[in-house]
Amino acid sequence: MAALVVAFNASALQVKPDIAAAQAAYNGKEANVSTADHSKFKELQKNFRTGPEVTQACLICHTEAARQVQHTKHWTWQSADPKTGQMRGKKNIINNYCTSVVSNEKDCMACHAGYGWKDQSFDFSVEKNVDCLVCHDTTGTYRKLPGYAGHPVYKRVEFPRGSGKFVEAVDLKKVAQNIGKPSRTNCGACHFFGGGANGAKHGDLDSSLQHPGKYLDVHMNEQGLNFSCTTCHATSSHQVSGSRYNVAAAVTGAASIRGKVDASPASCQSCHGNKPHPESMDRLNQHTEKIACQTCHIPEYARNDIGTELSWDWSKATTMDENGKRIVRKDSAGRRAFDSQKGEWKWESHVIPEYRWFNGDSVYKVIGDKIDPMQTVQLNVVGGSPDDPDSRIWPTKVHRGRQPYDTVNLTLTVQHTGGEDGTALWHNYDWQKAIGTGMKAAGIPYSGKFDFVDTELTWPITHMVAPKEDALTCVQCHSKNGRLKGVPGIYMPSRDGNQWLDMIGWTAALLTLLGVLAHGGIRILTSKKEG
Amino acid sequence: MLKIIAGFISGIVVVALLAYSYMGSLMFWEVESAFGVEETVARIQQNVQNVGNGWTLSGLRNPGKAVESSGGNVLPVMMVEACSTKYSGPILKDDSVRFLSILMPCKISVYKKNDGKTYIGMMNAGLMGKMFGPMVGDIMAKVAEDQKKFIVFDPSQPAPPMIKPAPPGVGGSAGAGAGGGC
Repeated sequence: MAALVVAFNASALQVKPDIAAAQAAYNGKEANVSTADHSKFKELQKNFRTGPEVTQACLICHTEAARQVQHTKHWTWQSADPKTGQMRGKKNIINNYCTSVVSNEKDCMACHAGYGWKDQSFDFSVEKNVDCLVCHDTTGTYRKLPGYAGHPVYKRVEFPRGSGKFVEAVDLKKVAQNIGKPSRTNCGACHFFGGGANGAKHGDLDSSLQHPGKYLDVHMNEQGLNFSCTTCHATSSHQVSGSRYNVAAAVTGAASIRGKVDASPASCQSCHGNKPHPESMDRLNQHTEKIACQTCHIPEYARNDIGTELSWDWSKATTMDENGKRIVRKDSAGRRAFDSQKGEWKWESHVIPEYRWFNGDSVYKVIGDKIDPMQTVQLNVVGGSPDDPDSRIWPTKVHRGRQPYDTVNLTLTVQHTGGEDGTALWHNYDWQKAIGTGMKAAGIPYSGKFDFVDTELTWPITHMVAPKEDALTCVQCHSKNGRLKGVPGIYMPSRDGNQWLDMIGWTAALLTLLGVLAHGGIRILTSKKEG
Repeated sequence: MLKIIAGFISGIVVVALLAYSYMGSLMFWEVESAFGVEETVARIQQNVQNVGNGWTLSGLRNPGKAVESSGGNVLPVMMVEACSTKYSGPILKDDSVRFLSILMPCKISVYKKNDGKTYIGMMNAGLMGKMFGPMVGDIMAKVAEDQKKFIVFDPSQPAPPMIKPAPPGVGGSAGAGAGGGC
């Protein structure tokens, strides 16, 4: 049935919009109707005390589920580069948002699909520690907070501490009896809020995608196709397709039929094929040989008032007011702008992407890698070139940062930020203690000397696809100062010119004008003489 | 004689063409802002409130919202509306120039272009005022002086919060501003 639905879905996009509308109606009315009512299962009619107890109940029927999850990035938080073998993933890289999960596990694991990862001793083989509910809750009441190592709150707590706001204890029995397929709410609980704030990290993922209109996302539009995340990120054995670590940057061939062998169903091509435009617009189809679909069809990202974070300057952290008190400041749109705990941020809405060649490969800086502090450190070196047949021109978000590094060992530092202990930066505002604890937890040497270095992290943009009427127009790229102004290695009419060819053309035009004037002048002179 | 007439007519034509070409840029002008759209709006709003001469905020429009609600995709455009009854009063009391109410309230447009930069667009009140007699010319010259102060920003000062209409403007509606104004 599922295969039928997705095949139906794929064909609808290309052939008949009315079928697509019917499919949307199907999604809205019946897609979530399960053949099992989990509230009737005896195993789930208990007053569960903890999350792992619920997982043990789930595994009675879903015997393979935990083992499947344990082979996914949602559990391991690492990903091997298929070409180099380099281990990436949140567990290994350093970014220029919160920098590293190491030594901060109790906070960061609020977004881990598991329970109890509080330090390096976490046992990844324990099945009951897999968190089923975070992805399958349909009640919207299952919430994991920073500081609990991936557990939901089992008793009412004040959050944030000192705010006067409270989060109620989760009703595990109710949640366990009301589970379903992952919805936008489940995925968005983490992916919309990456980097510590709504829309901060990705720029093309934020809470506006919970109820988007056609303008914001033509696929997820609630009044239209109403796709959920998993419509594109089709899942098999809990392996979710699509990854920013191994991006399908240049998928070719006709549209796929779901259920058959398909390396990347989470690509535009998998539904639209690589000749998505009508034959009368064949010139546009030729563009797909060099340009990613996203380049034209996502004219700007963060197209809402939420916006996205463009920079994070950690060097400003620990700056206090004249009384030694913490400073917290928002920007004009009400987004975080400064916090003595974390530094300074810059945000923007409706951001014009930065365009570059991209072949899907990125080499990441991982913990312990050497850096050159004299240059801006690329936290991921994006592969691709005009000569590479697997490269396309992609829209990207580049997040700029300024973050600490060890000035002697020339490595980016790992710092212990979250927590109430004596060395946490956000508690005691002492960089030395925070870096010392972080580096010790990461198992890499620290000289005791640090400074700050500029860094960049590049993200391909692929969500928030606009309606086709809002795609970039020809002149937005084909002009001297167009969108692709700085993209090398490709000849673009109206953007590029050949100096010699231009000179020959203008010379010919000038000579023609002179010839006409001379000819006319001679005719006038000779007619006067004859007259 | 014929040469003189031809030269005179040619002169008129050239002047008319020049006036036609440059009219737009004379009546309206555009400057680049060093800040994003929201922060530029907020700094203008702050300046309007601080400049004196009876200036108050009378609205904040978002014409892009109207396009967006019908599925359109436009880069951000926000219009700060400000008014000073000190200046608007004399004009509104004079029947001969009362039609100039069409220019009220004073609008300052803040928008992003495809180069990713933020721009400020304003009407050249000083030049426009000269066309409607000495009283209007005098008032509009003062308005022009204040307009210049609206867009002087001090980057060393933190970004002020943007003053949003309440209730939020939807579909291009202005909503109530902070001061009501004109």
